[in-house]
Amino acid sequence: MNQRITNRYEFTNKLIMEISELTIKKFHEGLVNKQFSAFEITKEFFDYIEKMDVEIEAYLRLTKDLALSQANRIDVELASRNFEISKYLIGVPLAIKDNILIEGELATAGSKILENYRASYDATVIKKLKSAGAIFLGKTNMDEFAMGSSTENSAFQKTKNPRDLERVPGGSSGGSAAAVASDMAVAALGSDTGGSIRQPAGFCGVVGLKPTYGAVSRHGLIAMASSLDQIGPIAKTVEDTAILFEAIKGKDELDATSIDLRPTTYDLRLEDIKKLKIGLPKEYFQGADLRGLNADSRGKSGLDKATEKSLQETINILKSQGFKFKEISLPHTKYALSCYYIIMPAEVSANLARFDGIRYSQMSNVKGQMLNLKNIYFKTRGEGFGDEVKRRIILGTYVLSSGYYDAYYAKAQKVRRLIKEDFDKVFNPSADGVDVILTPVSPTPAFKIGEKTNDPLQMYLSDIFTIPVNLAGLPAISIPVNLKAKSPKLKANLPIGFQLIGKHFHEVDILEIGQYYEKLATSH
Amino acid sequence: MLINKKTLEYLAELSRIELEKKSEDKLLKDLQKILGHFEELKEVDMENVDPTRPPSTSSKAKSGAVAGGRAERDLSHAERGGTIEMNVFREDEPSVKRQMPAVQLTGQFPEKENGFLKVPAVFE
Repeated sequence: MNQRITNRYEFTNKLIMEISELTIKKFHEGLVNKQFSAFEITKEFFDYIEKMDVEIEAYLRLTKDLALSQANRIDVELASRNFEISKYLIGVPLAIKDNILIEGELATAGSKILENYRASYDATVIKKLKSAGAIFLGKTNMDEFAMGSSTENSAFQKTKNPRDLERVPGGSSGGSAAAVASDMAVAALGSDTGGSIRQPAGFCGVVGLKPTYGAVSRHGLIAMASSLDQIGPIAKTVEDTAILFEAIKGKDELDATSIDLRPTTYDLRLEDIKKLKIGLPKEYFQGADLRGLNADSRGKSGLDKATEKSLQETINILKSQGFKFKEISLPHTKYALSCYYIIMPAEVSANLARFDGIRYSQMSNVKGQMLNLKNIYFKTRGEGFGDEVKRRIILGTYVLSSGYYDAYYAKAQKVRRLIKEDFDKVFNPSADGVDVILTPVSPTPAFKIGEKTNDPLQMYLSDIFTIPVNLAGLPAISIPVNLKAKSPKLKANLPIGFQLIGKHFHEVDILEIGQYYEKLATSH
Repeated sequence: MLINKKTLEYLAELSRIELEKKSEDKLLKDLQKILGHFEELKEVDMENVDPTRPPSTSSKAKSGAVAGGRAERDLSHAERGGTIEMNVFREDEPSVKRQMPAVQLTGQFPEKENGFLKVPAVFE
């Protein structure tokens, strides 16, 4: 049975705004025009969450004390005009994925092994958002250690897709995407290693950006695969995504892989944006490789029917406005999955070695027992890690072990180089290159809960369009094809996202085309 | 058979993870399937591929601000490989930013004695 949740929620008499209409800018207007105070609205959000989240389960825990004290402070500063009124993020309530550290709050990364771990410092992105005046409502659910594409691997609870409670919200940032899609936060932060922001954004019908590798500091992000991880925003509109990105990006002394970036001005003049050439990689529009899709659900190209139709719609809308498209080829696309599932587990096996039952929290099966050190490790990790995590650690250990290193890891690194070069070639301006690439986000819309949990390889395949982007370190954004679909009055169509991939550090290109598309799609 | 039970048990030992006997078979099957998928990499011609160097020989890495704006579209060669080949150093001094009260860190030790983390003997 397809259950629907109504998004309409009446605030107090002072507020007539529908909570679903609250974008960052609208929120800012409301706050600055004194339609509500930061404290009032934060409390309203908590009341709303209490009702909505019973079914959706996007939040692992709420940070009420923190949020309300932040809100109080903001109201005081606004009253005394201490805050720059131009800062859009003042008072904006955000949801934060539980692998991002907020000092003093629990950070579990969705895992039992960190069930009692309290963060001893703020992630750099949190520090930046605090000084921008944003408010943190709570920590959201995720696949354990960001390993998964459905949030079903969380050790704690299963988050549902707000658009269809029998379906997954995607993963691993499923909680954050679901919170934004059901208006339980104005926006959120997630993390993306192989698609974990973009895929859930696509499944839930919201916008998700994975910045260029190095654009946003990873300090305070519980590491999964250090050469692939990035923190990024999930929001209702591309404009909101851009605002959040501006607030969190930048060089950080505490992250040696972060890069200095100048502030960007977004300039939405169509004549300039239309000069950007959009590439359509043929390998992404064939369904031949997509296992698990039966013949009936495939369109002409072999892609899932609904996805094929939606992408064609998007391309037509953009074409009608004068955007130029070019068919391109990224020949090593099909090897990206293997490449990723060798490199990522290898890095995971190193990054998760620190969870030994000594340094972070202690597991109950170990407490009070007279075990030697080795057994503490075995039992803690045996009990504290879920199946997917164990699978990937063991896979990573295997590909790095002597005798197998050359056969797998060394090979995968070479393939990674080839995949990057594919993108370099199509982006090359001196070779009639394109500026931006457009692809589907996922092979299918959101699948049902439990549908892919028995076959890990099937689950991995849901990331085939997002993975190459992380391997190459490029920026990419997932935008809902039909933005109006958020309205509950519309038919119950599952959201479908399209992906825009930009050149390194050219988030401005994909954000501008995205914002332009948003204007078009909402007026169609 | 790309991976057998003995190898699995060896890997579990290396990664310090205690596996339940009943889940070993399924885990083994899953891993075999995944490793089977990797066989496709044998098709790729990797004769002259160096994973760490971009095709261009230029190593003119730019330091300082990178333009993200519209005005400067062409990035330098070193940046186009996806990894900017640039050494990032800092002074070999304690960073003021990282100081935090010791109790914040030691407060979460599962077992302590006189402010030190207590663990069983490393060597027996």
